[in-house]
Amino acid sequence: MSPEPTSAPARPPRKPMPLQLKAGLAITGTILLLGLLAPWIAPHPWDTISMRTRFLAPNATYWLGTDEYGRDVLSRLLMGARLSIGMGVAATLFSLAIGVPMGLAAGYFRGWIDEALMRLADVLMAIPPIMLGLLVLAVTPPALWKTALAVGFVYIPPIARLARSVTLTLANEEFIQAAKARAESTSYILFREILPNAWPPLIVEASLRVTYAILLGSALSFLGLGAQPPSSDWGLMISEARSFLDRAPWIALAPGFAMCLLVIGINLLGDGARERLDPRLKARLGKA
Amino acid sequence: MLAIDDLTVRYRTAGGEIEALSSVSLKARKGSTLALVGESGSGKSTIALAAMGLLPAEAMVPSGRILFDGADILTMNAEARRQLRGSRIGLVFQDPFSVLNPSLRIGDQVGEGLVHHRGYTPERAFARAIELLDEVGIVKPEAVAKAYPHELSGGMRQRALIAGALASEPELLILDEPTTALDVTIEAQILDLLEDLRVRRGLTMVFISHNLGVVRRIADEVAVLYAGQIVEQGATEEVLQRPVHPYTKGLLAAIPRIGRRMGRLAAIPGRLPDLRNPPTGCRFAPRCPFATPDSTNPQRLLAVGDRMVRCSSAAALRDTSWPVQEEAVVAATADRSASEPVVEVEDLTKSFVLSRGALRWEGWRPVRDAVSITPVDAISLTVAPGEVVGLVGESGSGKTTLGRTILRLIEADSGLIRIAGETVSDKPQSALEAMRRTAQIVFQNPDSSLNPRKTIRELLGRPIARFGLSPKADIPKRVDELLDLVRLPAHYADRYAHQMSGGEKQRVGIARALATQPNFIVCDEPVSALDVSVQAAIVNLLADLRDRLGVAYLFISHDISVVAHLADRVAVMHHGKMVEIGPAEQIMNAPSHPYTIKLLSAVPRVDGPALARREVVAADGLA
Repeated sequence: MSPEPTSAPARPPRKPMPLQLKAGLAITGTILLLGLLAPWIAPHPWDTISMRTRFLAPNATYWLGTDEYGRDVLSRLLMGARLSIGMGVAATLFSLAIGVPMGLAAGYFRGWIDEALMRLADVLMAIPPIMLGLLVLAVTPPALWKTALAVGFVYIPPIARLARSVTLTLANEEFIQAAKARAESTSYILFREILPNAWPPLIVEASLRVTYAILLGSALSFLGLGAQPPSSDWGLMISEARSFLDRAPWIALAPGFAMCLLVIGINLLGDGARERLDPRLKARLGKA
Repeated sequence: MLAIDDLTVRYRTAGGEIEALSSVSLKARKGSTLALVGESGSGKSTIALAAMGLLPAEAMVPSGRILFDGADILTMNAEARRQLRGSRIGLVFQDPFSVLNPSLRIGDQVGEGLVHHRGYTPERAFARAIELLDEVGIVKPEAVAKAYPHELSGGMRQRALIAGALASEPELLILDEPTTALDVTIEAQILDLLEDLRVRRGLTMVFISHNLGVVRRIADEVAVLYAGQIVEQGATEEVLQRPVHPYTKGLLAAIPRIGRRMGRLAAIPGRLPDLRNPPTGCRFAPRCPFATPDSTNPQRLLAVGDRMVRCSSAAALRDTSWPVQEEAVVAATADRSASEPVVEVEDLTKSFVLSRGALRWEGWRPVRDAVSITPVDAISLTVAPGEVVGLVGESGSGKTTLGRTILRLIEADSGLIRIAGETVSDKPQSALEAMRRTAQIVFQNPDSSLNPRKTIRELLGRPIARFGLSPKADIPKRVDELLDLVRLPAHYADRYAHQMSGGEKQRVGIARALATQPNFIVCDEPVSALDVSVQAAIVNLLADLRDRLGVAYLFISHDISVVAHLADRVAVMHHGKMVEIGPAEQIMNAPSHPYTIKLLSAVPRVDGPALARREVVAADGLA
């Protein structure tokens, strides 16, 4: 008759942080920090043209060399980090803002709402990402925020699909029935009951989407449809350096490697977070 | 035949090493049935896996031998073990729905072992499979052998699995909860089949179950396991009728008996010890009402009469029975006949379209004949204030659908629902505010019914805030009151669901339903997912709450003995129809509908005259 004893069941000790997560955090954190501190730590002004220092190979003064206008590549790289990361994050936030409610609604209501939203997503998916970007940017004057918007738009379908599939399983849980049994509003059920449980896989997916967004954004900038000169967006830097690839390869290689490193870092972060947040892994741990 | 000697098994887990079995010794005599009984976490399935040589990679066996016909299974190499498994030992698992490969024909799966171990050609194996299916009592074995698993009912699949285990003519059959997933009438058939096979083939069986009634029906000898140790072992009837070890006594006292109404069930307080660091003394001592200072010393299995008991005061406790608490609460039985019923349901019907059927032509028009089922078929029912109406029936009988349709969680096709004098069946969902407060629901699965991302305080506070039942500042106080009502300590308010045991979660589920101070609660299989000892505590709690608060329940369960214990009236459902309703005593002692009679006779009981084996005989056909 008396209840189970009051002593808390000892919680299993926290699993050690996966190596990927550590490495990912270190790489991404460093790049982010450098980008944020760029105005203070950049060794040279990033946009001052100096004809005397054109095409200098990497040396003690200019660690990564200079470009065709004599600007310091390292300083430009540091300033560009903000633009690339900012663009990737903004694009992903945009696709989350649209995709998550879409997926929640589709998975919860089912029926024709589901059909309509998912067919819409299919249509979006059928358009090649670059094409869609071109479409948006070709008709209006290009700007970096528009690139972010276009890229975010392209990545709505995968986010919406994931949100939908998570919602489909959660909608069958009995706590949703319990919420209905006390006449909760639909928005309460969607955003207060379902969404908190859908976050972990969505966060993991979103962090991986950031890398795709950075790459696609850079590709659009490379095509001249994103940031405009003299901006130091990495994609734009590579695009401008393309014609001097034979004479001064460092101008293109530096932003290329930087982007590579950033993408690897964020990918590791996402994979690590998946391992940490995966509800199935968690359930298994909880049972042990 | 099978001898387990001093077997200890540990599992490596993220939280540390767990000792699942501690020096267990067992012997299954040739041609007899040995049952292993215990609640979850007792280690009974680990024994089965070890005996099959199927322990997972995380398992370590620091000591012990498992001798099958004199050869040690643990020291054999993998290939020898595989040979043994396929040919001389057969295994039947719990869930017949997931064990069969859905894309292979039944006959191929039954005969598979013959192809691998006996070198049969597939054709010969298939022919032999048909004979085996015939032997396990399947009516049209040729047709069934060509069928795929999804075409068969649960009972048929379990028969097919038994046929598969028998294919290689094993001498030993290990059955891990073979009837747990099945309805009682099917369960009775499978038990009869197993008994029949044992006699006919001279099989030795090791039967693992949590259900003492089932064990009584099939086993010659029973070993009761608690926290990885055998606590009592002996002849089945002896152990079940005159248990000696306190745990066995408690387990038996916690089972509700049909036809013997008691005020409250005996519950075993507390929970399993932490197996990462098991106590050196008696593992049951913290929960034992008979514990003595000697209980902290290591306990050995002692012979008491013909059986073995792991308790130093066993001889003294022989004739003492488990203490049953006297009824503390005085039943506030109002005059029910005079007051208006809290729930009235008339002619309620709900049907689902399963598929739209095949396309055919009617003259020039294409039509489809929709295939539909009617899980709630013209049901009429009333529940008086403070009354418990039990709803029993087998899976698919429509019990759950009825409960949810009454609460308008599923929309009815037709019929009238009145709750607390208000007709709710014709109102839109948005106008159900009052009804939602008056009528609540408790769910079967406590893992799924509590949002894992919310603390208990949030879970219990939300209904209060939602209906504005008390000012915001008073909500924490009200949450504490609710926790107290379901006998959970106040500091549980800051926990998440996964930090509690199954029984505690179910208490929170009940507290949440009570938060709106309802007059009526639909209890949808509230104890089915719980162990027997925890189940008794929850049933008692529900009975107390009814007496103290005057709440009425519609108590849905497939377990007739629990319903018989708690309910004032019992309704029996079969294929969506209510076949019988009446006072609980009358239904249990003098059922009138043939289906009720069949259902009651199939229930495995731990008391009453031992059933002549093979009492219920019925053949099930293709589903």
